[in-house]
Amino acid sequence: MELVQIQRRLVDYTKSLFMEGFLDAQFLQLQQLQDDSNPDFVFEVVSLFFEDSEKLLNELTIALDQPNVDFKKLDSHVHQLKGSSSSIGAQRVKNACIAFRNYCDVQNIEGCLTCLQQVKQECYLVKNKFETLFRLEQQIMASGGSVPTIELGF
Amino acid sequence: MAPTLPSGDQASDQDNWDNGRLARKRQLLTEIVLRNRLTALVVDGDTTCRVLEQLLLRSYGVQTQGVDNGRDAVALIASGVKFNLIIIDMILPVLNGLEIRDMGVHCKMLGVTACSGESERQAFLAAGVDVFIEKPLDPEHLVPILRELDGQ
Repeated sequence: MELVQIQRRLVDYTKSLFMEGFLDAQFLQLQQLQDDSNPDFVFEVVSLFFEDSEKLLNELTIALDQPNVDFKKLDSHVHQLKGSSSSIGAQRVKNACIAFRNYCDVQNIEGCLTCLQQVKQECYLVKNKFETLFRLEQQIMASGGSVPTIELGF
Repeated sequence: MAPTLPSGDQASDQDNWDNGRLARKRQLLTEIVLRNRLTALVVDGDTTCRVLEQLLLRSYGVQTQGVDNGRDAVALIASGVKFNLIIIDMILPVLNGLEIRDMGVHCKMLGVTACSGESERQAFLAAGVDVFIEKPLDPEHLVPILRELDGQ
């Protein structure tokens, strides 16, 4: 595939992620922070997020598995996940966390369990999306091109 | 098969992407030029958030340090390091803004939080921060504060 075609594909793919709500404007902010002095910033911070979120999801699973669920602890983990997901622009993960926190507030275990599944699912989905994104970027750079960035007014 | 030559369209598309990227970068990031040397401390237990908050501050030329817990923040401040701005995550298990205030720290403190409720807002303001915002930390909220600290 020619360079221009891959670049177009990347632009279209990224736009689709915004349209489908996987990413929000904060992701554009991340891209803005990437420059020659931080050439892999987006990849690094997204990787950090998935490392951390995996630990948090494990903690959440364990916390919900206890005979006496500590809702305060549960809430604090979800709170952290909400913060970090919003920081990378992972909108659907963030929204799933908001729903999760509502069930923590009313101490609804069934609701929490459902939400945990939802959050896990959203993390899994967006992780795959990012992997595709980074793969396309690598293809472009390997062909000697530069990675196109998305216009805000689409 | 004859080799294909790069078409005129290809070259201009590439130029457009490069130029567009540079223009957007200038437009979005260079919203402020600091006249003074500002220093900041980021106190956030979440690595993803802390890394981002630090880089955002650095991109504006603010000399930034980061710690992931309140104890280290206290130690740093106790050692005499001065900061113009402290960005503090409002769910640290060890510390809240009041403890830092109690150490005689008078600089601007900005609380960042994943919470958004009104009761939380009141609690945070009572905990010693000057202002708090919902994560993620973004230029829209940060730039006015930097401007103020820089005396602009």
